[in-house]
Amino acid sequence: MIRLENVSYSYPGGTPALRNINLEIEEGEFLGIIGRNGSGKSTLALHLNGLLRPEKGKVTVRGLDTRDFARLPEIRKLVGIVFQNPETQFVGRTVEEDLAFGPENLCLSPAEIRVRVDRVLAETGLEKYRHRSPKTLSGGQGQCTALAGVLTMEPECLVFDEVTSMLDPGSGTAVLKRIEGLREKGKTIVYVTHNLEELHAADRVIVMEQGKIVREGQPEKLFSDLPGDPGLALPSLIELAAQLRAHGIHVPWEKTRSPETFAEEICRLFSKT
Amino acid sequence: MKEPVFSYVPGTSLLHRLDPRTKLAAVMLLGVLTFRAESFTGIGALFVLFFTLALLSGVPLKVFARAVRPMVLFITFIFLAQLFFTEGEALASFGALQPSLEGLENGTRIASRFVLLLLFAAVLTASTNPSAITAGIERMLRPLPLRWLGVTSFELATMMNLSIAFLPLLFERVERTKAAQAARGMDFGKSPFRSIPALAVPLLRGLVRDAGELALAMESRGYQGRARTSMHELSMKGRDWAALLVLLLFSILVLGL
Ligand SMILES: Nc1ncnc2c1ncn2[C@@H]1O[C@H](COP(=O)(O)OP(=O)(O)O)[C@@H](O)[C@H]1O
Ligand SMILES: [Mg+2]
Repeated sequence: MIRLENVSYSYPGGTPALRNINLEIEEGEFLGIIGRNGSGKSTLALHLNGLLRPEKGKVTVRGLDTRDFARLPEIRKLVGIVFQNPETQFVGRTVEEDLAFGPENLCLSPAEIRVRVDRVLAETGLEKYRHRSPKTLSGGQGQCTALAGVLTMEPECLVFDEVTSMLDPGSGTAVLKRIEGLREKGKTIVYVTHNLEELHAADRVIVMEQGKIVREGQPEKLFSDLPGDPGLALPSLIELAAQLRAHGIHVPWEKTRSPETFAEEICRLFSKT
Repeated sequence: MKEPVFSYVPGTSLLHRLDPRTKLAAVMLLGVLTFRAESFTGIGALFVLFFTLALLSGVPLKVFARAVRPMVLFITFIFLAQLFFTEGEALASFGALQPSLEGLENGTRIASRFVLLLLFAAVLTASTNPSAITAGIERMLRPLPLRWLGVTSFELATMMNLSIAFLPLLFERVERTKAAQAARGMDFGKSPFRSIPALAVPLLRGLVRDAGELALAMESRGYQGRARTSMHELSMKGRDWAALLVLLLFSILVLGL
């Protein structure tokens, strides 16, 4: 779906934010990108639909080069990004209007825009907020609207850049559920986070550090490698599993999904001895 | 939360269904008419028109009252100024102040005109989705040779939309910056000359960041400042032409009164 070849990028007057990145994002895969603050995750995300263009190397989306300005509209139609801050990604004064912004830029007919907006409103359960200002919504509803605003463009790939980091845990989980649902519909998902716990549904995870991909693999594999990696915020259950492993007690990755499964596993281990 | 002035009230009335351009043209025409109407019968007729429209729209009257309320002080001031400072037949005498009959007439006329303007504008905004208004303005501006000014009508429309969307963000940021500075021990009560720079610098920094993020999000969703369509279908139907015709006849009547 998206291919990055030897991609390097530095912000004006800054140190390199991406160094020689090689990455192939497959059709329909759920890719997790994890790394501490400043490791270059957002910079990488912005390269995926040509919002930033590589200084060296190249990025292609279904074969379209992001440095080719004439192809950018097509690329943005294929790859949509949901950003971290719900407040600064609304353009419309009402939820409905915000959802229409993308399709309006695609120059669709008013009738077609209506159809798309109505369908996405129904799918995301935002129907009742149709005429509300997106700024009056809660964080969770706000991110849901931001996602809906990208969905009306009917992209093939969706990129999420730390979309839950400003939400309370409850709405974060709800947003994540919705994203996992999109994957079932065959969309390609790129999910940026600094929380490994959110990547249970990922097929593959890459770990970034100082603008480089330092590790790559299934979340399960990284889970046993990661502990001892300072700076990466390990969520409590995973950290707990890491501590237990240091004492020779092995709780498998699937069981760190929730406190319930974790407790069951502990009980199972103890009843054996 | 405080209800916003000039807000949109969703509905399906005849007024809601009119093309935004019809309503924009009507408000402009009514604006001119309001300031041309000299006689009190004419002004009275305009008030009757407003109440008819308000009824037709099905919008509660308090929405219209909300549009006038912030201006009440200003309008009262103008009324009083006219009342006391127009030369003419004295109605009464309060020392040096002498309200005159002409002053009363002038004051009532001018105050009514301001109120009418606000009310008609509120009829437009209450019955028209804000983005339909911008779409209408965009469509009306499109034939103008704006290219000479270096903008397109689409950019103008987006700018209008954004500035309205950005204002609440601005106010919120002012509050947040104030709170953050107060937490650092800034005292805003004493000297505004000391507090303004302390507020302005982080405020601007924050706004520039907000604007940058917003621009990225817009670009990501395919915005290019070039031709775009609108969800609001603009088509002048029979009822639009009929409404404009009725309004035209009404105008001739009012000017004749
Ligand atoms: N707009 C910018 N201008 C200059 N430097 C930036 C900008 N955005 C990010 N950087 C720098 O680039 C590096 C990578 O940042 P970023 O991609 O935002 O990391 P992450 O999303 O993983 O926190 C950091 O060192 C950061 O300071
Ligand atoms: Mg980031």
